[in-house]
Amino acid sequence: MADSPEAIHKAKKNYIIVFLILMCMTVATVAVATIPALDIGKHGFDTADMILGLLIASFKAGCVMFIFMHLNHEKKLIYFLFGLAIVLALCLYFITKLAFIDPIIFEGFRLGEPK
Amino acid sequence: MVEIPYIFKPRKDTGLCNSKIAIWLFLASEVMLFGGLFSSYIFLRVFSDYPWPERTLPVLPGLINTVILIISSVTVVFAWAALKLRKWSQFQFYMAITLICAAFFMGLKALEYKAKFNHQAARLSDFTVVEGHLGYAKIDKEGRVSKVYHYGDHAEKGHGADHGDDSQGDSHGSDYKEFKHNKIFFKTSEIEVDVTSASGKYVDELIEQAHAAGSKIYLEEEVGAKRSYKDESPLQVGAQGEELSKALIKRAKSVFVSARTANGKLRRDNLSEQWAEAKAEHPDLRGWQIQKEYGVDVDLEAIKDRLVPMKKSLVFKVEPATTFYFKPSWITEGESLSKLKDNTILQGELQDSPMVISIDGLDFQHLVMKAEERQQDPETIIEKSWVLKDENTRQLWEVHKMMVVKLEEKLLEEYGAYKKDDEHGRYQKGDPKRVPTEKDHYRIDWQQIVAYGKALKEGKDISAMTYDEMKELRPGPVAGFTGPNHKTMNEYFPELSIPRNEVRFDSTFTPKWNTYYALYFTITGLHGLHVIGGGIVLGYYMFFGRKMYESNPDWLANRVEVGGLFWHFVDLVWIFLFPILYLM
Repeated sequence: MADSPEAIHKAKKNYIIVFLILMCMTVATVAVATIPALDIGKHGFDTADMILGLLIASFKAGCVMFIFMHLNHEKKLIYFLFGLAIVLALCLYFITKLAFIDPIIFEGFRLGEPK
Repeated sequence: MVEIPYIFKPRKDTGLCNSKIAIWLFLASEVMLFGGLFSSYIFLRVFSDYPWPERTLPVLPGLINTVILIISSVTVVFAWAALKLRKWSQFQFYMAITLICAAFFMGLKALEYKAKFNHQAARLSDFTVVEGHLGYAKIDKEGRVSKVYHYGDHAEKGHGADHGDDSQGDSHGSDYKEFKHNKIFFKTSEIEVDVTSASGKYVDELIEQAHAAGSKIYLEEEVGAKRSYKDESPLQVGAQGEELSKALIKRAKSVFVSARTANGKLRRDNLSEQWAEAKAEHPDLRGWQIQKEYGVDVDLEAIKDRLVPMKKSLVFKVEPATTFYFKPSWITEGESLSKLKDNTILQGELQDSPMVISIDGLDFQHLVMKAEERQQDPETIIEKSWVLKDENTRQLWEVHKMMVVKLEEKLLEEYGAYKKDDEHGRYQKGDPKRVPTEKDHYRIDWQQIVAYGKALKEGKDISAMTYDEMKELRPGPVAGFTGPNHKTMNEYFPELSIPRNEVRFDSTFTPKWNTYYALYFTITGLHGLHVIGGGIVLGYYMFFGRKMYESNPDWLANRVEVGGLFWHFVDLVWIFLFPILYLM
């Protein structure tokens, strides 16, 4: 992390660049969602728009994490802590899948079938 | 005093100072918290049993708030850099901008919330959804709804478009009550109050309305009670003619509760006696065997003369018969009998109780979904819907259908058609590459209503207009900054008087309306609390950090860095919230 005055001055320049990138990306997010000519995939909102929107958001989040939150030169312990939390949070998205392998649910389906 | 170790100097084993590990641990827990909420969002959206509201929030406030948070993220990191360079006034300057950004963010959020709390929606019996603003009505002493204001007229009269639900009288001292025109009117001459569940709020409302109407709610007969089976002296709960009051209900409840307690004790004692006898008779049997063979229970016959009579409800007369009116959420209405939420029963007659609303949104998507589930033709069901019996909405719908056809033509022209069949059978040769969505087909939003209204008012030949020409008539994002603009465009929103039996469910745009709004308020509300919390911590460093800065600037810089990390995380959450809630 920047500690010397020179390094801090240099880091400030990076912050400005990241700020501009974030602004451009924000405008891009809105543009692809509202301007028909920039609409990808089918007409209106669809999976392609969702993926693009989330990709832009993830890129922006990456910029904030690595530059503003100084993750680009952080200690291993921090990577482990935060990385573990992100992995566990991502696991939450697959909890919905459990609904389909729940034996109680399948029993219910079987009971509902005509004999 | 013991000095706290490693507050800004790194520990040898971790290479980090303690506060940094602490904040990252905290942020990890926050990732799980918001991750859980985002996962709920996906679960509820994917499995929703109604058409998910896609891109229905006004984008501009969300966009401005995104920009505001990004600016504040930069200023907070600049404030930290200023501390590192030992520039106190620069630190204060950047921190002040951060705090102003936080305040601005919350202010804008409050405006958005306010617009939603005052925006009404109703799902009709055929699953048509109408959105809009409620009109205002006045009720006089005789229970007549004497005057109805259009929502916009009301705003123009200087009441302010969104004052509270009810208000009493006016500056000229007239005897009436004014309220949003969405009430259930019920004329009653007899009220039965359940003393165990009666709520002061409902009792007060009944008393207040009876008072305003000049009528009396009173006990027709004296209500007495017994203290206990031993004490025969009479106990008066309420005298004949005594008027309904909270004190009376409280008294009746206390007599009821003591009678219930006494009777409970009697039963319990009797049961103990029965068990004692049964055990004495069958000393070699276990308890469960006695119960199975002989079924020990309270001997009601033996104690029936000792049970104290319990009076759970009090019956009141209303003279003269009065029309009471309640919010739909307060009452379950029926033709001759209605029940308030606190189990108070009203006998009488349901009056005409329409919902009067200036509509700024008409949505058939849910109706279509239900029709398709029943394998019915959606178009036919729409044509038969109640809302299209109204001439104005019918006209809007006809214009809208025309515009959807024009959009279809425009998309075909711009993107063309497939030249050969898809091998997976998804499309055939000649099918257009892009077609209007379900939302395009079946939802008319407020900008479209204004555009159609303008075209009709100006007497334009709509069949000759192109899709883009019509689109140009739509108001821009500034005109409807937080939602439909009723102040200047009210003339375009048709007013509907929807009979009560046509309303399946109604609510403002609050968590009650649907799971989308439940999530919207939960996640953005929680995020807002984080903004406030972060603002307080950063504000503390700015206003009270001088002493620490002079004694130990590195410690303060470390604190600001830790606070800043939290602030960046708040920004990070919003970076995902904005597209998910506003643009998808």
